[in-house]
This record gives sequence, structure tokens and C-alpha cells, in this order.
Amino acid sequence: MIGLIVCTHGKFSEELVKASEMIFGKQEKVKCITFEPGESADGLVEKYKTAIAELGEKDGVLFVVDLFGGSPYNAASRIVAQHENMDIVAGVNLPMLLEVYMPRTFMGLPDLVETAMTAGRNAVQSFSGTYGNVVEEEL
Amino acid sequence: MEICLTRIDDRLIHGQVATVWVKESGCNKIIACSDEVAADPLRKTLLLQVTPPGIKAYVLPIDKVLEAYKNPKYSDFKTMFLCTNPNDVLRLVEGGVAIKSVNVGGMCYKEGKTLISGAVAVDEADIDAFKKLHAKGIELEVRKVARDSKVDLMSLV
Repeated sequence: MIGLIVCTHGKFSEELVKASEMIFGKQEKVKCITFEPGESADGLVEKYKTAIAELGEKDGVLFVVDLFGGSPYNAASRIVAQHENMDIVAGVNLPMLLEVYMPRTFMGLPDLVETAMTAGRNAVQSFSGTYGNVVEEEL
Repeated sequence: MEICLTRIDDRLIHGQVATVWVKESGCNKIIACSDEVAADPLRKTLLLQVTPPGIKAYVLPIDKVLEAYKNPKYSDFKTMFLCTNPNDVLRLVEGGVAIKSVNVGGMCYKEGKTLISGAVAVDEADIDAFKKLHAKGIELEVRKVARDSKVDLMSLV
């Protein structure tokens, strides 16, 4: 199984994972990292290394972070650059998490990354953009 | 028509939850069975709007569900039946739908109801319908999410 490390500014990561577990149920091999005011990127790298050691995942690790180019992303990139079986997806949202929980038990890392990005993008919808298009077929 | 899952959830199809249950049950169709919702264009459209891609969803009054269930034209349907309350499930069963198990996912608390688990509140009419379903040998299991372990509803009422 591919391990997940969810990292965001503030406690968003912890609450996001709690929200996802309301829908999907309890998850294994997920670590939440928070990036708090006053912390350094070096501190984050240390937190990541501890989390990776605790996950102990031979199949790989996927970082999902809030902002492309933010500190959680930048710190993760320093680790990922040195490991073939790790990657980062930025722009985490609830649907993205829900969509990767199941496939990470059987997918390889590149496919899982693709799945996460597609799910995250497709989740952005508007009421007005879809409401008029809904058609029910007759039975 | 094959029954993949029968679920009571008074929110019916809602967002990503639908996706999770669709994957878990392996269905290719969702039929929301409710006279009330079928007659409410906004609720009906909202349900259809959040249906996961690749799945066809229908919102039908109970009588229409019974007709469709018996129609050989729909024999390739692998269906998730969604109901808002146990009485509608009972109407389906009494109308000839071969339901063996009911997943009780969510019944919101309202005044006059009693909370029997984190997500399920029932009143006398609900308990009565559940007892009738139980008497027919139908499994009644409470699970908020697919990964939870099943809890026997009859042990809670």
C-alpha cells in the first residue's frame, strides 16, 4: 500500500483527514502534518522524515499538500527529489483524498498521482454550471 | 434486475458518499425510491446532479419502482436501491422486490424520534416497519460508512 502524508498550513490537514474518515471510514497508513506559524521548512523536513519512518512503506509515499510552492510542498520536494518511489500532489481537497484511499492499495505511484489530480480537478463544480444539464432518462 | 445494495439514507444520493457506496456495491444504476422526492423537482435534480460518472440514476415513486423491477427489459440492471425510510423498503418488499439485506446508513434526528446510533433516529412507525422487515428474515444492518462493521439494527431498538 502506498502511504499518504497530508500536509497543510495550520491544522487543515488533520481536519481534512477527519472529514474524509466520516465518509470513507478509518484509514491506515496516513500521516497528518501541520505547518504552524513560526515553524521552518527544515522543521517540516524533519517531521516528514519521522512520518516516513513510521509509515515504513516499501510501496512508496505520496505527499498531498495544500499549495503548490508553499512550505509543505517545498519541504516535501527536498525529500521526494532523492526518492524514486515518492511524489507530491498539490491542491489537496476532500474528493481527492476519498478518491485515492482505495486505489493506493493496488495502484502504482504514477497511476495514483494521476488519479489524485483528476479527482481533485473534477471535484470543482458549480450549481449553475450543471443544474440545467441534468436530464433524467425515462424508465 | 439484480439488487446490489438496499440502503436507507434520508439524504439519498449525496456527493462523494454516493461514489464510495457505488464502488463498494458494484452497481451500475441507482434508483432512489420515494414518492415524496420524485414529486420534488429540486431534490430530484440535486440527486441526479451528484450521481457519479458512469452510473445512471433514477428517482421514482414506489409504484414505478415495482413496475421497473418486474420489467424484463431491465434485467441487466445492477441496482442500488436508496430509500429514505423503512416503510418505503417494506412497500418494496411487499410489492415483490427480493431484498435480503438493508443497510441503514442515516436517518436524521427530528423531534419525536429517538437516536439509536450515531446516525440513526427512529420513531414508532419506523420501528414497526423494521420489525415487519425483520420478521420476513431480512438482515437489517447499521453502517454509516462502507468500511464500518455491521451492527444489527434489531439489537438497538
